[in-house]
Amino acid sequence: MHIVDGALSAPVLIGGAVLSAGGITLGLKRLTLETIPAAGILSAAFFVASLVHVPIGPSSVHLILNGLAGLVLGWAAFPALAVALLLQAVFFGFGGLTVLGVNTLDIALPAVLAGAIFRPLIARASGVTVMFWGGLGGAFAIAATTLCVALALGLSGDAFWPAAKLVFVAHIPIMMIEGVLSAAAIALIVQVRPDLFSTLRGEPA
Amino acid sequence: MIRNTVFTIFLALGCGLAAPALAHKVLASAYPSGTVIEGQIGFSNGDMAKDAKVEVQGPDGAPLGETVTDEQGSFTFTPSQPVAHVFKADLGAGHLAQFTLPAEDVAQVLALQGDPGAKPSAPPPGGVALTGGAMPSETPGPASGAMTLSRADELAIAKLVRDEIRPLTREIAAYKEHNGLQTILGGIGYIVGLFGIGFYVAARRRMGG
Repeated sequence: MHIVDGALSAPVLIGGAVLSAGGITLGLKRLTLETIPAAGILSAAFFVASLVHVPIGPSSVHLILNGLAGLVLGWAAFPALAVALLLQAVFFGFGGLTVLGVNTLDIALPAVLAGAIFRPLIARASGVTVMFWGGLGGAFAIAATTLCVALALGLSGDAFWPAAKLVFVAHIPIMMIEGVLSAAAIALIVQVRPDLFSTLRGEPA
Repeated sequence: MIRNTVFTIFLALGCGLAAPALAHKVLASAYPSGTVIEGQIGFSNGDMAKDAKVEVQGPDGAPLGETVTDEQGSFTFTPSQPVAHVFKADLGAGHLAQFTLPAEDVAQVLALQGDPGAKPSAPPPGGVALTGGAMPSETPGPASGAMTLSRADELAIAKLVRDEIRPLTREIAAYKEHNGLQTILGGIGYIVGLFGIGFYVAARRRMGG
Protein backbone atom coordinates (compact mmCIF):
# COMPACT_ATOMS: atom_id res chain seq x y z
CA MET A 1 0.00 0.00 0.00
CA HIS A 2 2.86 2.35 0.66
CA ILE A 3 4.24 3.65 -2.59
CA VAL A 4 8.04 3.69 -2.43
CA ASP A 5 10.51 6.41 -3.34
CA GLY A 6 11.14 6.67 -7.04
CA ALA A 7 7.87 5.16 -8.26
CA LEU A 8 6.15 8.47 -8.86
CA SER A 9 6.84 11.49 -11.01
CA ALA A 10 7.70 14.86 -9.48
CA PRO A 11 4.38 16.64 -10.24
CA VAL A 12 2.46 13.84 -8.52
CA LEU A 13 4.77 14.01 -5.50
CA ILE A 14 4.41 17.77 -5.20
CA GLY A 15 0.66 17.70 -5.76
CA GLY A 16 0.27 14.99 -3.13
CA ALA A 17 2.39 16.89 -0.63
CA VAL A 18 0.44 20.12 -1.12
CA LEU A 19 -2.96 18.44 -0.83
CA SER A 20 -1.82 16.48 2.24
CA ALA A 21 -0.56 19.66 3.89
CA GLY A 22 -3.99 21.16 3.31
CA GLY A 23 -5.69 18.10 4.77
CA ILE A 24 -3.39 18.10 7.80
CA THR A 25 -4.07 21.80 8.43
CA LEU A 26 -7.82 21.21 8.21
CA GLY A 27 -7.50 18.18 10.46
CA LEU A 28 -5.45 20.00 13.08
CA LYS A 29 -8.16 22.66 13.29
CA ARG A 30 -10.76 19.97 13.96
CA LEU A 31 -8.57 18.31 16.57
CA THR A 32 -10.14 19.28 19.87
CA LEU A 33 -9.07 18.44 23.38
CA GLU A 34 -11.63 15.61 23.35
CA THR A 35 -10.49 13.98 20.13
CA ILE A 36 -6.70 14.18 20.63
CA PRO A 37 -6.48 10.98 22.73
CA ALA A 38 -8.60 9.09 20.20
CA ALA A 39 -6.44 10.43 17.38
CA GLY A 40 -3.29 9.30 19.17
CA ILE A 41 -4.61 5.82 19.78
CA LEU A 42 -5.84 5.38 16.21
CA SER A 43 -2.51 6.71 14.98
CA ALA A 44 -0.71 4.08 17.06
CA ALA A 45 -3.12 1.38 15.87
CA PHE A 46 -2.47 2.34 12.26
CA PHE A 47 1.28 2.38 12.93
CA VAL A 48 1.37 -1.25 14.07
CA ALA A 49 -1.42 -2.51 11.81
CA SER A 50 0.89 -2.20 8.82
CA LEU A 51 3.04 -4.95 10.27
CA VAL A 52 0.25 -7.51 9.93
CA HIS A 53 0.78 -9.06 6.54
CA VAL A 54 -1.33 -11.17 4.27
CA PRO A 55 0.85 -12.70 1.54
CA ILE A 56 -0.74 -12.47 -1.89
CA GLY A 57 0.94 -13.35 -5.15
CA PRO A 58 4.32 -11.77 -5.65
CA SER A 59 3.55 -9.08 -3.12
CA SER A 60 1.96 -8.90 0.28
CA VAL A 61 -0.65 -6.60 1.68
CA HIS A 62 -1.14 -5.46 5.23
CA LEU A 63 -3.88 -4.12 7.44
CA ILE A 64 -4.43 -0.40 7.13
CA LEU A 65 -7.25 0.52 9.51
CA ASN A 66 -7.73 3.90 7.85
CA GLY A 67 -11.49 3.38 7.62
CA LEU A 68 -11.76 3.09 11.39
CA ALA A 69 -9.65 6.22 11.85
CA GLY A 70 -11.85 8.15 9.41
CA LEU A 71 -15.09 6.94 11.00
CA VAL A 72 -13.97 8.05 14.45
CA LEU A 73 -11.95 11.15 13.59
CA GLY A 74 -13.22 12.64 10.35
CA TRP A 75 -10.76 15.25 9.10
CA ALA A 76 -8.61 14.75 12.18
CA ALA A 77 -7.61 11.42 10.59
CA PHE A 78 -5.22 13.39 8.36
CA PRO A 79 -2.72 14.45 11.05
CA ALA A 80 -3.16 11.14 12.91
CA LEU A 81 -2.33 9.05 9.83
CA ALA A 82 0.39 11.43 8.63
CA VAL A 83 2.28 11.07 11.93
CA ALA A 84 2.05 7.27 11.78
CA LEU A 85 3.14 7.22 8.12
CA LEU A 86 6.13 9.43 8.91
CA LEU A 87 7.22 7.10 11.70
CA GLN A 88 6.71 4.04 9.50
CA ALA A 89 8.89 5.60 6.83
CA VAL A 90 11.63 6.43 9.33
CA PHE A 91 11.49 3.26 11.43
CA PHE A 92 10.50 0.55 9.00
CA GLY A 93 11.39 2.05 5.66
CA PHE A 94 7.77 1.70 4.46
CA GLY A 95 7.26 4.11 1.63
CA GLY A 96 9.72 6.95 1.92
CA LEU A 97 10.06 10.57 2.84
CA THR A 98 9.55 12.02 -0.63
CA VAL A 99 6.34 10.06 -1.16
CA LEU A 100 5.03 10.84 2.31
CA GLY A 101 2.61 13.44 0.95
CA VAL A 102 1.13 11.10 -1.65
CA ASN A 103 0.92 8.20 0.79
CA THR A 104 -0.80 10.41 3.36
CA LEU A 105 -3.29 11.56 0.76
CA ASP A 106 -3.88 8.02 -0.53
CA ILE A 107 -4.66 6.72 2.92
CA ALA A 108 -6.16 9.69 4.76
CA LEU A 109 -8.47 11.04 2.05
CA PRO A 110 -10.44 7.76 1.78
CA ALA A 111 -10.56 7.75 5.58
CA VAL A 112 -12.12 11.22 5.59
CA LEU A 113 -14.54 10.18 2.83
CA ALA A 114 -15.55 7.06 4.76
CA GLY A 115 -16.16 9.25 7.79
CA ALA A 116 -18.20 11.76 5.80
CA ILE A 117 -20.37 9.09 4.19
CA PHE A 118 -20.83 6.55 6.96
CA ARG A 119 -20.66 8.57 10.18
CA PRO A 120 -24.12 10.11 9.75
CA LEU A 121 -25.48 6.65 8.90
CA ILE A 122 -23.88 5.15 12.00
CA ALA A 123 -25.19 7.98 14.18
CA ARG A 124 -28.72 7.29 12.99
CA ALA A 125 -28.55 3.50 13.04
CA SER A 126 -28.88 1.11 15.94
CA GLY A 127 -28.06 -2.48 16.75
CA VAL A 128 -26.85 -4.62 13.87
CA THR A 129 -27.16 -1.77 11.38
CA VAL A 130 -24.35 0.04 13.22
CA MET A 131 -22.07 -2.90 12.60
CA PHE A 132 -23.17 -3.05 8.98
CA TRP A 133 -22.36 0.59 8.27
CA GLY A 134 -19.15 0.43 10.30
CA GLY A 135 -17.98 -2.62 8.36
CA LEU A 136 -18.96 -1.08 5.06
CA GLY A 137 -17.09 2.09 6.01
CA GLY A 138 -13.94 0.10 6.81
CA ALA A 139 -14.10 -1.81 3.54
CA PHE A 140 -14.94 1.32 1.56
CA ALA A 141 -11.85 3.14 2.83
CA ILE A 142 -9.58 0.32 1.63
CA ALA A 143 -11.27 0.17 -1.76
CA ALA A 144 -10.92 3.94 -2.18
CA THR A 145 -7.30 3.76 -1.06
CA THR A 146 -6.47 1.17 -3.72
CA LEU A 147 -8.02 3.45 -6.34
CA CYS A 148 -6.01 6.42 -5.04
CA VAL A 149 -2.79 4.39 -5.18
CA ALA A 150 -3.59 3.27 -8.71
CA LEU A 151 -4.39 6.85 -9.66
CA ALA A 152 -1.08 8.09 -8.24
CA LEU A 153 0.74 5.37 -10.20
CA GLY A 154 -1.38 6.09 -13.25
CA LEU A 155 -0.59 9.82 -13.17
CA SER A 156 3.09 8.91 -13.06
CA GLY A 157 2.96 6.95 -16.26
CA ASP A 158 1.83 3.44 -15.32
CA ALA A 159 -1.25 2.23 -17.13
CA PHE A 160 -4.12 3.04 -14.77
CA TRP A 161 -6.50 0.12 -15.20
CA PRO A 162 -4.06 -2.79 -14.88
CA ALA A 163 -2.50 -1.16 -11.83
CA ALA A 164 -5.89 -0.39 -10.32
CA LYS A 165 -7.12 -3.93 -10.92
CA LEU A 166 -3.97 -5.46 -9.45
CA VAL A 167 -4.01 -3.35 -6.29
CA PHE A 168 -7.76 -3.67 -5.86
CA VAL A 169 -7.86 -7.44 -6.26
CA ALA A 170 -4.89 -7.89 -3.93
CA HIS A 171 -6.70 -5.97 -1.24
CA ILE A 172 -10.03 -7.78 -1.36
CA PRO A 173 -9.08 -9.99 1.63
CA ILE A 174 -7.95 -6.89 3.52
CA MET A 175 -11.29 -5.23 2.78
CA MET A 176 -13.09 -8.18 4.30
CA ILE A 177 -10.82 -8.37 7.35
CA GLU A 178 -11.00 -4.64 7.96
CA GLY A 179 -14.74 -4.63 7.39
CA VAL A 180 -15.14 -7.13 10.21
CA LEU A 181 -12.63 -5.31 12.44
CA SER A 182 -14.24 -1.92 11.84
CA ALA A 183 -17.71 -3.34 12.42
CA ALA A 184 -16.65 -4.80 15.76
CA ALA A 185 -14.77 -1.68 16.82
CA ILE A 186 -17.56 0.69 15.83
CA ALA A 187 -20.18 -1.45 17.54
CA LEU A 188 -18.08 -1.41 20.70
CA ILE A 189 -17.51 2.34 20.55
CA VAL A 190 -21.20 3.03 19.98
CA GLN A 191 -21.98 0.85 22.97
CA VAL A 192 -19.47 2.29 25.43
CA ARG A 193 -19.36 5.86 24.11
CA PRO A 194 -22.43 6.64 22.02
CA ASP A 195 -21.73 10.37 22.37
CA LEU A 196 -18.66 10.02 20.13
CA PHE A 197 -21.00 9.70 17.16
CA SER A 198 -24.11 11.49 18.36
CA THR A 199 -22.41 14.68 19.54
CA LEU A 200 -20.52 14.99 16.31
CA ARG A 201 -23.58 14.35 14.21
CA GLY A 202 -24.12 17.94 13.15
CA GLU A 203 -20.51 18.54 12.26
CA PRO A 204 -19.58 17.97 8.64
CA ALA A 205 -16.91 15.32 8.86
CA MET B 1 -13.72 6.10 26.97
CA ILE B 2 -11.42 4.01 29.14
CA ARG B 3 -12.97 0.79 27.93
CA ASN B 4 -12.69 1.54 24.27
CA THR B 5 -9.21 2.93 24.84
CA VAL B 6 -8.16 -0.31 26.45
CA PHE B 7 -9.81 -2.25 23.65
CA THR B 8 -7.95 -0.29 20.99
CA ILE B 9 -4.64 -0.70 22.78
CA PHE B 10 -5.16 -4.44 22.98
CA LEU B 11 -6.15 -4.52 19.34
CA ALA B 12 -3.03 -2.57 18.44
CA LEU B 13 -0.73 -4.69 20.56
CA GLY B 14 -2.35 -7.88 19.32
CA CYS B 15 -1.73 -6.82 15.76
CA GLY B 16 1.81 -5.80 16.56
CA LEU B 17 2.78 -8.95 18.39
CA ALA B 18 1.17 -11.26 15.86
CA ALA B 19 3.79 -10.59 13.23
CA PRO B 20 6.33 -8.04 14.34
CA ALA B 21 9.09 -9.44 12.18
CA LEU B 22 7.37 -9.04 8.84
CA ALA B 23 8.16 -5.93 6.92
CA HIS B 24 7.16 -4.68 3.61
CA LYS B 25 10.18 -3.26 1.97
CA VAL B 26 11.60 -4.22 -1.36
CA LEU B 27 15.25 -5.17 -1.31
CA ALA B 28 17.40 -5.03 -4.38
CA SER B 29 21.11 -5.46 -4.88
CA ALA B 30 23.43 -5.99 -7.79
CA TYR B 31 27.15 -6.71 -7.86
CA PRO B 32 29.78 -7.63 -10.41
CA SER B 33 30.08 -11.39 -10.75
CA GLY B 34 32.85 -12.25 -13.16
CA THR B 35 31.80 -11.35 -16.66
CA VAL B 36 28.20 -10.60 -15.75
CA ILE B 37 26.32 -8.48 -13.27
CA GLU B 38 24.41 -10.51 -10.76
CA GLY B 39 21.61 -9.21 -8.61
CA GLN B 40 18.81 -10.16 -6.32
CA ILE B 41 15.36 -8.76 -5.74
CA GLY B 42 13.09 -9.70 -2.92
CA PHE B 43 10.95 -8.54 -0.07
CA SER B 44 12.37 -7.92 3.33
CA ASN B 45 10.27 -10.71 4.82
CA GLY B 46 12.44 -13.23 2.97
CA ASP B 47 10.20 -13.76 -0.04
CA MET B 48 12.12 -13.38 -3.26
CA ALA B 49 10.64 -11.80 -6.34
CA LYS B 50 10.14 -14.69 -8.76
CA ASP B 51 9.91 -14.22 -12.51
CA ALA B 52 10.01 -10.46 -12.19
CA LYS B 53 11.02 -8.42 -15.20
CA VAL B 54 14.07 -6.28 -14.52
CA GLU B 55 14.64 -3.26 -16.72
CA VAL B 56 18.17 -2.05 -17.10
CA GLN B 57 18.75 1.61 -17.83
CA GLY B 58 21.69 3.93 -18.18
CA PRO B 59 22.15 6.89 -15.85
CA ASP B 60 20.24 9.07 -18.32
CA GLY B 61 17.29 6.68 -18.40
CA ALA B 62 18.17 5.19 -21.77
CA PRO B 63 17.21 1.50 -21.87
CA LEU B 64 20.18 -0.89 -21.98
CA GLY B 65 18.19 -4.10 -21.95
CA GLU B 66 16.18 -6.27 -19.64
CA THR B 67 16.35 -9.56 -17.82
CA VAL B 68 14.11 -11.76 -15.68
CA THR B 69 14.60 -13.09 -12.16
CA ASP B 70 14.65 -16.82 -11.49
CA GLU B 71 13.01 -18.86 -8.72
CA GLN B 72 15.38 -17.42 -6.10
CA GLY B 73 14.85 -13.84 -7.18
CA SER B 74 18.32 -13.70 -8.73
CA PHE B 75 19.10 -12.29 -12.12
CA THR B 76 22.15 -11.86 -14.27
CA PHE B 77 22.85 -9.23 -16.85
CA THR B 78 25.71 -8.96 -19.32
CA PRO B 79 26.68 -5.33 -19.66
CA SER B 80 28.01 -3.90 -22.90
CA GLN B 81 28.51 -0.24 -22.02
CA PRO B 82 30.82 1.19 -19.35
CA VAL B 83 28.20 3.40 -17.72
CA ALA B 84 26.34 3.19 -14.43
CA HIS B 85 23.56 0.63 -14.66
CA VAL B 86 20.21 1.27 -13.03
CA PHE B 87 18.23 -1.90 -12.36
CA LYS B 88 14.50 -1.42 -11.96
CA ALA B 89 11.84 -3.97 -11.26
CA ASP B 90 8.18 -3.08 -10.88
CA LEU B 91 6.70 -5.62 -8.51
CA GLY B 92 3.27 -4.09 -8.74
CA ALA B 93 1.20 -2.10 -6.28
CA GLY B 94 3.81 0.60 -6.01
CA HIS B 95 6.57 -1.81 -5.05
CA LEU B 96 9.45 -0.61 -7.11
CA ALA B 97 12.84 -2.18 -6.67
CA GLN B 98 15.70 -0.03 -7.83
CA PHE B 99 19.42 -0.39 -7.58
CA THR B 100 22.27 1.45 -9.26
CA LEU B 101 25.57 -0.20 -9.99
CA PRO B 102 28.31 2.43 -10.34
CA ALA B 103 30.22 2.80 -13.60
CA GLU B 104 33.48 1.57 -12.00
CA ASP B 105 31.93 -1.78 -11.14
CA VAL B 106 30.52 -2.11 -14.65
CA ALA B 107 33.95 -1.28 -16.07
CA GLN B 108 35.42 -4.05 -13.95
CA VAL B 109 32.95 -6.52 -15.47
CA LEU B 110 33.68 -5.27 -18.97
CA ALA B 111 37.42 -5.59 -18.36
CA LEU B 112 36.91 -9.25 -17.47
CA GLN B 113 34.84 -9.79 -20.59
CA GLY B 114 37.84 -8.76 -22.65
CA ASP B 115 40.01 -11.15 -20.66
CA PRO B 116 40.20 -14.50 -22.48
CA GLY B 117 40.85 -16.34 -19.22
CA ALA B 118 37.60 -15.09 -17.84
CA LYS B 119 35.24 -16.38 -20.50
CA PRO B 120 32.49 -18.40 -18.85
CA SER B 121 33.65 -21.53 -20.65
CA ALA B 122 37.25 -21.14 -19.51
CA PRO B 123 37.08 -22.17 -15.86
CA PRO B 124 36.65 -25.94 -15.62
CA PRO B 125 33.34 -27.08 -14.18
CA GLY B 126 35.06 -28.32 -11.06
CA GLY B 127 36.08 -24.78 -10.28
CA VAL B 128 39.44 -24.93 -8.49
CA ALA B 129 41.11 -27.57 -10.61
CA LEU B 130 44.57 -26.34 -11.47
CA THR B 131 44.84 -25.15 -14.99
CA GLY B 132 48.55 -24.49 -15.12
CA GLY B 133 50.04 -23.24 -18.33
CA ALA B 134 47.44 -24.76 -20.56
CA MET B 135 45.35 -21.64 -20.13
CA PRO B 136 45.98 -18.64 -22.36
CA SER B 137 46.44 -16.48 -19.32
CA GLU B 138 48.87 -13.84 -18.15
CA THR B 139 50.71 -16.39 -16.04
CA PRO B 140 54.12 -16.72 -17.65
CA GLY B 141 54.63 -20.41 -18.39
CA PRO B 142 53.44 -23.34 -16.29
CA ALA B 143 52.57 -22.80 -12.66
CA SER B 144 55.95 -22.40 -11.05
CA GLY B 145 54.83 -22.93 -7.48
CA ALA B 146 51.94 -23.69 -5.20
CA MET B 147 51.36 -19.99 -4.59
CA THR B 148 50.95 -19.06 -8.25
CA LEU B 149 47.41 -19.00 -9.44
CA SER B 150 46.30 -18.53 -12.97
CA ARG B 151 43.78 -15.87 -13.84
CA ALA B 152 41.14 -18.53 -14.37
CA ASP B 153 41.79 -19.97 -10.92
CA GLU B 154 41.40 -16.57 -9.34
CA LEU B 155 38.11 -16.12 -11.08
CA ALA B 156 36.96 -19.60 -10.14
CA ILE B 157 37.83 -18.94 -6.50
CA ALA B 158 36.12 -15.57 -6.62
CA LYS B 159 33.04 -17.30 -7.98
CA LEU B 160 33.11 -19.94 -5.24
CA VAL B 161 33.46 -17.31 -2.55
CA ARG B 162 30.55 -15.38 -4.01
CA ASP B 163 28.42 -18.51 -4.04
CA GLU B 164 29.35 -19.21 -0.43
CA ILE B 165 28.57 -15.76 0.90
CA ARG B 166 25.37 -15.30 -1.06
CA PRO B 167 23.15 -16.78 1.67
CA LEU B 168 24.94 -14.60 4.20
CA THR B 169 24.30 -11.39 2.29
CA ARG B 170 20.67 -12.41 2.04
CA GLU B 171 20.51 -13.06 5.77
CA ILE B 172 22.14 -9.75 6.58
CA ALA B 173 19.75 -7.89 4.30
CA ALA B 174 16.79 -9.60 5.98
CA TYR B 175 18.23 -8.93 9.42
CA LYS B 176 18.68 -5.23 8.67
CA GLU B 177 14.99 -5.04 7.88
CA HIS B 178 13.97 -6.91 10.97
CA ASN B 179 11.58 -4.81 13.01
CA GLY B 180 12.23 -5.64 16.61
CA LEU B 181 9.70 -5.10 19.32
CA GLN B 182 11.81 -2.17 20.51
CA THR B 183 11.35 -0.41 17.19
CA ILE B 184 7.60 -0.89 17.32
CA LEU B 185 7.30 0.21 20.94
CA GLY B 186 9.60 3.14 20.18
CA GLY B 187 7.30 4.23 17.36
CA ILE B 188 4.25 3.97 19.60
CA GLY B 189 6.15 5.99 22.19
CA TYR B 190 6.78 8.74 19.66
CA ILE B 191 3.09 8.80 18.75
CA VAL B 192 2.03 9.01 22.39
CA GLY B 193 4.55 11.78 22.99
CA LEU B 194 3.51 13.77 19.92
CA PHE B 195 -0.16 13.59 20.76
CA GLY B 196 0.72 14.42 24.36
CA ILE B 197 2.33 17.62 23.14
CA GLY B 198 -0.74 18.30 21.00
CA PHE B 199 -2.91 17.74 24.04
CA TYR B 200 -0.76 20.14 26.05
CA VAL B 201 -0.98 22.83 23.38
CA ALA B 202 -4.74 22.39 23.03
CA ALA B 203 -5.18 22.53 26.79
CA ARG B 204 -3.05 25.68 27.09
CA ARG B 205 -5.09 27.31 24.37
CA ARG B 206 -8.33 26.43 26.09
CA MET B 207 -7.04 27.75 29.44
CA GLY B 208 -5.89 30.94 27.79
CA GLY B 209 -9.14 31.42 25.91
